[in-house]
Amino acid sequence: MQQLLQQLINGITIGSFYALVALGYTMVYGVLKLINFAHGGLFMWGAYIGLTGLSVLLALLAQGGPGMIFPIAVIVIVTIAMVGVLIERIAYRPLRSAGRLAPVISALGMAFILESLARNIYGASWKTYPPGLVPAGRVALVGDVRISIMQVLVLTVSFLLMALLYLFVYRTRIGTAMRAVSLDHEVSRLMGIDVDGIIATVFLIGPGLGGLAGMIVALYYGSFDFTLGWIFGLKAFISAILGGIGNIPGAMLGGMMLGIIETLGAGYVSPQWKDVIAYMILILILIFRPTGLLGERVAEKL
Amino acid sequence: MLRKVLLLALAAILVLPIFAGCKPKEAAPIKIGVELPLTGDFAYEGQGMLKSIQLLVDQTNAAGGLLGRQIELVVEDDAGDAGQASQVAQKLVDAGVIAVIGAYNSSATEPASVIYNQAGILHITPSSTATRLTEKGFQRFFRVCFLDDRQGLFAAKFMKEVLGAQKIGILHDNSTYAQGLAEHTKRYAEQLGMNVAFYDAINPADKDFTPTLTRIGGAGLDAIYFTGYHAQGGLLLKQSADLGLKLQWVMGNACNNPELIQIAGVENAAGTYVTTEPLPKDVNVPEAKKYVEDFKARYGEEPASVWWMMAAEAFNVIRYAIEQTKSTDPKVLAEFIHQAKDINGITGPILGWDEKGDRLGTIHVAYVISETGEFILNPKQPSP
Repeated sequence: MQQLLQQLINGITIGSFYALVALGYTMVYGVLKLINFAHGGLFMWGAYIGLTGLSVLLALLAQGGPGMIFPIAVIVIVTIAMVGVLIERIAYRPLRSAGRLAPVISALGMAFILESLARNIYGASWKTYPPGLVPAGRVALVGDVRISIMQVLVLTVSFLLMALLYLFVYRTRIGTAMRAVSLDHEVSRLMGIDVDGIIATVFLIGPGLGGLAGMIVALYYGSFDFTLGWIFGLKAFISAILGGIGNIPGAMLGGMMLGIIETLGAGYVSPQWKDVIAYMILILILIFRPTGLLGERVAEKL
Repeated sequence: MLRKVLLLALAAILVLPIFAGCKPKEAAPIKIGVELPLTGDFAYEGQGMLKSIQLLVDQTNAAGGLLGRQIELVVEDDAGDAGQASQVAQKLVDAGVIAVIGAYNSSATEPASVIYNQAGILHITPSSTATRLTEKGFQRFFRVCFLDDRQGLFAAKFMKEVLGAQKIGILHDNSTYAQGLAEHTKRYAEQLGMNVAFYDAINPADKDFTPTLTRIGGAGLDAIYFTGYHAQGGLLLKQSADLGLKLQWVMGNACNNPELIQIAGVENAAGTYVTTEPLPKDVNVPEAKKYVEDFKARYGEEPASVWWMMAAEAFNVIRYAIEQTKSTDPKVLAEFIHQAKDINGITGPILGWDEKGDRLGTIHVAYVISETGEFILNPKQPSP
């Protein structure tokens, strides 16, 4: 029983990472019907920009500590959001009327470019964040079941971000415009919505969140290399599909489910079989609900 | 009188070259080939190994050579590449070498070994550990390094004798190397009467191993042996500390890398044991001490890896065989090496070779990661 509780905590932590990254996929899909494969690359770049920002700040201030996380997070969000908008402008917008295949290939190309750039600039070796940025330590919940302060922080930040995003999309004027754009570009334009502006906003928020998630993942695991984007990008993409792509609560649900199923598979069967188990369940769900878990209930996609 | 002197002088001039011609013929150098990666990814190892061999050859020549003849090295660069290895192997055969030391990596050694075998040359690899190399029935091919099989035996003995473990776990990552080491360790652990209560693999592409670790934590193990690579090893150490698990980690030689400590964090890595080939400075026989001293005196640096030392050992074995048999015939030398026992090796006592040409015994030692994040030789080692 205690082990099950501990495994659930493990699973929710992994799941919250998947969910954070999945939000970026799902938002872009919502407005453009485009699977933005570059998202995993932006996520990975968040980890690198965070590290660079940290060393610059450390050099300027000559002191460190937990307080450093906040300025670094701002640097990461701003930088990656700008890169996201730039990518949309140069790689996706010119192809918007070119059918659905060309932008997907363009996105794949961007993913490769981002990964190669990271490898060439930072090198192929493992990078580590210095310890002490996040207070270490664990809290015992029940008996031997423990949750680390880092996990508490990760979960709080993830849920907070997801809640804010949900409120933004469903309770603000820009959010309403986003949902309108996701239904129909032309009609939205006729209603006086700046469609290009809204799409740019999506590419500001999605990559910004993705970059922040990259920094959080790198801080949590302590080390990363340039391949970080592939595995998390892929799992997050699957989470988005599982929850119903284009649907924000769906991305959160899909991420959590995938994280927990994987964890229970690895914990109770074997880590070698966890992917088999997780994807069998995924396929079964998709057979019975092809639009994903929440794909139908919400009529307007994002 | 003057004519006689001139004639004698002339005769001497004419005759001397004949003697001079005879003398080098009697003492023609013994040619030994070296095939190593001197460029490419493994250049660092290859260059160091060549330095080691050169050191011993020069010492031997300075002491009068072997059988009154000097040693001449014929050096070829295979860049660690299988295709280039076959080409340079043919060049070494054409140069008339009696023996070859090399190559560094198994994929270069394999094609070259076929060519040396056909040419009937004695072939010793200092560092290629792929099992199948010695399974081709080549009678003149030997290793001075040890197979992973030996490391498995060492790890099992270490956990039983030094850690006093009864119930152990083994974790690998499904790579050929890690799985092989895990299987060997499991076999020997069971032979030694230990209970392998956990045996599984992680996926090295993952970052989060907490589900597996939580399961390991609940299995009540005395020790857990991880046979994979250092990047995952570091994450395992970090995450098992984050989960608050009190596991006694032992890791294989692919974790013998300072990056392991960097990834894990010093406080999480401290107290972890690593089974590996020793650094040259940690080999505790007089031959090794002398080799390290001589190397430092000549090159101004310490021999950095065990493979440099193994290269010197390969030459040492050839030298010993020539001295003992008074022959430079590869057939005689190979037969001698097959029978040889208890040679004072540079890398420790050489017990001998099995019929396949694999070295008996083991050189592996256990290092422990200190509180300051350094690999130090563990004071307690299992019985040899």
